[in-house]
Amino acid sequence: MVFGIPNIDPVINLNQPLIWGVGMNTVFEIQQVSKQYRDLIALDNISLDINQGEILGYIGPNGAGKTTTIKILVGLIKQYQGSVLYQGKNIKTSEISSLLHKELGYLPQEVDFQQWRTVKHALTTFGLLSGIPREILNDSIVSTLKLVGLSDVENKKIVHLSGGMKQKLKLAQALMHNPKFLILDEPMSGLDPSFRYQVKNIIKILHQQGITIFLSSHILSDIENLATRIAIIHQGKIKKIGTPSELSEEFRIGNDIEIMYIKGSPQIRKDDLNCIQSITQESGINHIIHSSPEVETDECIKILLRYILDNGIKIRTLSLREPDLEDVYLHYVREAY
Amino acid sequence: MMGKSKLGLLYLDELKGYYKSKLMLVLWIGLPLLSFLMQYLQPNAEEIPLSIFVAILVGSIGGTLSSVLISTTITSERNRNVYDLFLIRPVKRWEIIIAKYFAVLTCLLFAVVISVVMGIIVDIIKIGTPISELLKINAQSLIVAFMSICIACSIGIFFGIIINSVAVSAVLSVYLGNQISAIVILPTVLIPEINVIFYAILVGVGVSILILAISIIIFSKKSQY
Repeated sequence: MVFGIPNIDPVINLNQPLIWGVGMNTVFEIQQVSKQYRDLIALDNISLDINQGEILGYIGPNGAGKTTTIKILVGLIKQYQGSVLYQGKNIKTSEISSLLHKELGYLPQEVDFQQWRTVKHALTTFGLLSGIPREILNDSIVSTLKLVGLSDVENKKIVHLSGGMKQKLKLAQALMHNPKFLILDEPMSGLDPSFRYQVKNIIKILHQQGITIFLSSHILSDIENLATRIAIIHQGKIKKIGTPSELSEEFRIGNDIEIMYIKGSPQIRKDDLNCIQSITQESGINHIIHSSPEVETDECIKILLRYILDNGIKIRTLSLREPDLEDVYLHYVREAY
Repeated sequence: MMGKSKLGLLYLDELKGYYKSKLMLVLWIGLPLLSFLMQYLQPNAEEIPLSIFVAILVGSIGGTLSSVLISTTITSERNRNVYDLFLIRPVKRWEIIIAKYFAVLTCLLFAVVISVVMGIIVDIIKIGTPISELLKINAQSLIVAFMSICIACSIGIFFGIIINSVAVSAVLSVYLGNQISAIVILPTVLIPEINVIFYAILVGVGVSILILAISIIIFSKKSQY
């Protein structure tokens, strides 16, 4: 086993498409898992597969059950209903539990280091505990620190690090033993935009190396351009699972048409056409036409175009409104309010 | 490597923590100095050989200090989820507790030994008591002091695990750590026939193991949440 992250320039193009998936073997299978804390149901019969090579974005508001799910996966919570399989075997068995210690990297959301530790000392301790041989430990620390961009502060005490640096150190401890599977619980929480960008870059690099990543967040923009699949959790229940495009596609139920007029042009009125259910004015010249469910959206567009030409309405654009992930997310998490 | 117990590693790591946080220095210099000072401030105590006075004082102060130290450390580290990064590795909960217990004991044992050795040196120079006699009297004081520290530390661990507030944890350790640890010496004062050293070791080790075992069971149960 070779330890230590290879030296890679951490600056990559965020817009560059990634090569998704090494195969679609299931790594983790969460089967009908429920967890209750006294009166509070934290997880309510959730089932979820995590496939090899993917970045599974796990998104939900605070208190939705994300951290509870993660603590079950990493073995910090042992009492729950249902079962969790890693590579087809229950994680409660000692064989799988020790395999997980070796193959899993975990960045917890709320965790701290002992005050007296320096960056290097913390990584030395965690590296040795993870089983990295002493002979290569130093190389492993150096390459991990380089990857996360903390090489300059290796001898600094952790208490003197900024929030962003501490977060990177948490990431470093999760990476240094070359895990095959990474669980990141709110890795960008509390970071400024620059650190967010850097952490996103690192996650992309790790994914390109074939590491399977489970990435939880309560902020959609944190996972939007990273996740190959998204699971939305709310009030302990998985509301939706799918690729970002699947989720957007399925949500195309509003049949909304976005129209932008040229200033001063007459505008389409709801009562003039039967295919219009309602019109929302986003601004003076920018309107959203909600087509009637009885009429095909394409048909409605044809009717609108004919009406525009016949009535001398001047428009700049007319397009089908693509729902973004935020609409999908809000749809599922708003339901209960 | 993966299957091997990490106890040794954790123990050395804890000791390094005491060293790096300067706590070791404070104990090793502070405790002997404090006992010397106390002896000169109490006129009656001048008649007792310094080494014995020091052993008794260090055992008492050291016990209280250690129980407060360890209970507040554990409570605060638990509250800050420090142990999560250990427990996701092949580390058992009992290993964390035992490593902490022996690390604090090691620090205090050295503090007691340093204090008593310095006391013996002063006694030899000042009173001229033969060294063999001083060693004999001191062996008993040392063992009693150390056993009471063993119990105080285990009580500190217990409160560190069950109490969530650092302040409450500290107060309870001060109140009970020292009081309960007195059971290693109290019966021998009341019943002179009891062999002091034998009784102190028996009670010291027995009570410590019992309290530690209860603490570890409670700490392990906390993983259910």
